[in-house]
Amino acid sequence: MEYFSPRQLPEAYALLDRYGEAAIPIAGSTFFMGHREELFDEVEAVVNIKKLGLGYIRIEGKDLRIGATTTLNEIHRAPETSRGPLRIFAETVSELNICEVRNVATIGGEVCIAGEVDMPTTLLAYDAQIVIGSSKGTRVMPMSEFHVGYLRNALKPGEMVIEVRIPVPPARTGGGFGKFERTAADLPIVNAAARLTLDRRGMVEDVRITAGAATAAGIPVRAAAAEKLLQGKKPDDALILEAALAAGTIDCVDDFRASARIRGRWVQCAAEHALKRALSHAKEEESS
Amino acid sequence: MKTITLNINGEKCRVEVRAHWSLAYVIREKAGLTGTKTGCEMGTCGSCTVLLNGEPVFACLKMAADAEGDEITTIEGVESKGQLHPLQTAFMEDHGMQCGFCTPGMIIAAKALLDEHPDPSEHQVREAIGGHLCRCGTYTRIVQSILHAARIAKQP
Repeated sequence: MEYFSPRQLPEAYALLDRYGEAAIPIAGSTFFMGHREELFDEVEAVVNIKKLGLGYIRIEGKDLRIGATTTLNEIHRAPETSRGPLRIFAETVSELNICEVRNVATIGGEVCIAGEVDMPTTLLAYDAQIVIGSSKGTRVMPMSEFHVGYLRNALKPGEMVIEVRIPVPPARTGGGFGKFERTAADLPIVNAAARLTLDRRGMVEDVRITAGAATAAGIPVRAAAAEKLLQGKKPDDALILEAALAAGTIDCVDDFRASARIRGRWVQCAAEHALKRALSHAKEEESS
Repeated sequence: MKTITLNINGEKCRVEVRAHWSLAYVIREKAGLTGTKTGCEMGTCGSCTVLLNGEPVFACLKMAADAEGDEITTIEGVESKGQLHPLQTAFMEDHGMQCGFCTPGMIIAAKALLDEHPDPSEHQVREAIGGHLCRCGTYTRIVQSILHAARIAKQP
């Protein structure tokens, strides 16, 4: 296994091309080092992409753009995510109460791990786009298509995630995130995110409800039935509970950490929490 | 093998490393600084925590090769000029430990907290050690020790 620390993107792409599937781009290295025993025989080249200038967070045009090697802690502390509908990204990080991981783990890494992590659930609720780079150029793919199965993403050999783009939501939008885990330092057993936009009359104009870490598909999914219940209606606690109950009917995985039945119940609770927060944030936006 | 120079507690340390070697392994086995403990070696227990440019990280999840150029502080580098750090004094006075295995990691995490928030609330203390396990279950004493350390540090 060889270690490379390129300084230019083309240099990094050349390494990914040369080693193909045996190359792994790393930045925070938490996933790689946590799985180094299993990955040892598969990986020939470790490509550190931290020195490529991909650590940034900024509003550009109509998007919030976050570079792949931006750490969770940087997202937590950035002025762009300190208020308004984008604060959900700081709130999602807050739910991982383990500063030693937040200081190094990156958004690019979280996006690539289609499994028990938090950020993809929130990104799915915010219609994020994943920017993928390679020696052939860049392509953009919606978060909803990027995960293809448990621990499997749409990257082809030679490609890596270089940026995450989140459309800045319209006025009167709020977001919320809810999660169940065993301890503050643990991976999520289920999580849920919500994004809610109200129209001028206080009716739901647009809504997303997503659940992650829990699904039988192994990837975050939208709770379409729950979204439909809220669309065009005036949200109150009873309607939110009804939508949360619908979210809890998604197909959940049954494993040693929780049964499918209890997971469904927790998705309901996490979705209810996320929706209530999203609604109160959206109302704050309205009055500000 | 790749030769790198690590800056551990202000001292330069030249070591040959392999790509998958963790910083925790190199600190203990190559630099000989055994104050940093390795427990789970998968980022769950917190006992290998060191400061990297002042920020706490799990040394078991950090590639040693990636730590070149960073300022690394281990438990051995917490005292200054033979004087114990207020945290070390407080942990002794308040018995913030039983077996002591988690103590270096706890003190490093607490140091990062006190460096940023010299007067933390109990909630902030609990959050700062959220990623650390103490199998003796001494958490109450640990929290008490860290709050005590903040008071010691404030004394003129």
